[in-house]
Amino acid sequence: MFFAHLRDAVGEESVTLELSGKTVGDAKELLSKQYRLNLDTAMAAVNEEFAGNEDVLKDGDVLAFIPPVSGG
Amino acid sequence: MDDRYSRQILFSPIGKSGQEKLRSKHVLMIGAGALGSGNGEVLTRAGIGKLTIIDRDYVEASNLQRQQLYTEEDVREKLPKAVAAEKRLGAINSDVSIVSIVGDATPEMLEDLMGDVDLILDATDNFETRMAINDLSQKHQIPWIYGACVGSYGMSFTIIPGKTPCLNCLLKKIPIQGMTCDTGGIIGPAVQMVIAHQSAEALKILVEDWDSVRDTFTSFDLWRNQYTSMKMGRAKDEGCLSCGTSREYPYLEKDNLSRSTVLCGRDTVQIRPPRQSAIDLSDLANRLATLQYEVKANPYLLSVEMGEQRVVIFKDGRGLVHGTKDMSQARSIYQKLLG
Repeated sequence: MFFAHLRDAVGEESVTLELSGKTVGDAKELLSKQYRLNLDTAMAAVNEEFAGNEDVLKDGDVLAFIPPVSGG
Repeated sequence: MDDRYSRQILFSPIGKSGQEKLRSKHVLMIGAGALGSGNGEVLTRAGIGKLTIIDRDYVEASNLQRQQLYTEEDVREKLPKAVAAEKRLGAINSDVSIVSIVGDATPEMLEDLMGDVDLILDATDNFETRMAINDLSQKHQIPWIYGACVGSYGMSFTIIPGKTPCLNCLLKKIPIQGMTCDTGGIIGPAVQMVIAHQSAEALKILVEDWDSVRDTFTSFDLWRNQYTSMKMGRAKDEGCLSCGTSREYPYLEKDNLSRSTVLCGRDTVQIRPPRQSAIDLSDLANRLATLQYEVKANPYLLSVEMGEQRVVIFKDGRGLVHGTKDMSQARSIYQKLLG
């Protein structure tokens, strides 16, 4: 799932991919290449829980990317 | 006096004792823009003891769409935001002691204010200042509430030293080229939603209802009808340089901040970001052109007219702001483009 300007860049709110066994870090690399995104500082959450790059994904997991927003 | 706050006192988590606690508390609010206006007004109406507001900018017409404290007269008079905010808030509640500071919220300047502050409210528009606030919060053990919005999105997270992860745990470095309100637009409701989240958290902290403080990271999109609450249990980084076991408070170090210098003989200020970074110039140029800015770009840099100034951004993130010698104003303009 993509939030804020990442969603605009991807063009969709979410995409479904085969990622089980891969890490969050792997997913970041894959997605940033595929959609030309910068996921460097985006926060990643797996099933609504903050996840680190080394966390391993399982079938059915919902991986969300929330970029830091700076406006105010 | 109790009559004024009667409806708040009737709210049992606050009650009479909570109201008395509010009156004894001092909130430092950094920024008097969209988030600052709203948070400032809620807390002033709620009857806190003291509010210190810092802002380096002045009121402009485009602020009126979402910065609730300001009027057309403030725009005509080009009043500094901190001054206009103090005026308006003073008229709303004369019981609250309001201190306004017109200036750049640099780490040195902020450090001097930490003395008797109970809570820091984030109403800023850039990450450099937020990371400095984050370090100061850890160093002086003062809670702060992150809030930000752009487009129809908003987010907020309450950071309590010793208890929650800090912003550095989450970001690990200053993000460059975030979407800003000048490049992505913003709607009033998104601002209001962030204000509601931040000020509710503020009230809980000020009346010391620590159990009720929200421990999730909230984000929402009011146009696409999305809400998320991220659990943060695994976000705390023991190696974090701001809140971990070996602290360095990196964002209070001059080396890690952007450096601005007035270029000799020219009406120009150069801004160097804290670290070199590859900016996607064509993406930024396209976005600015879509927003009707006058942009010229080549593979090495882009040049855009912003009001009376012209800004040149290089691929490595360095910026030149032509038409001013005021470093604070130049940094402000640069950050409007790059966050």
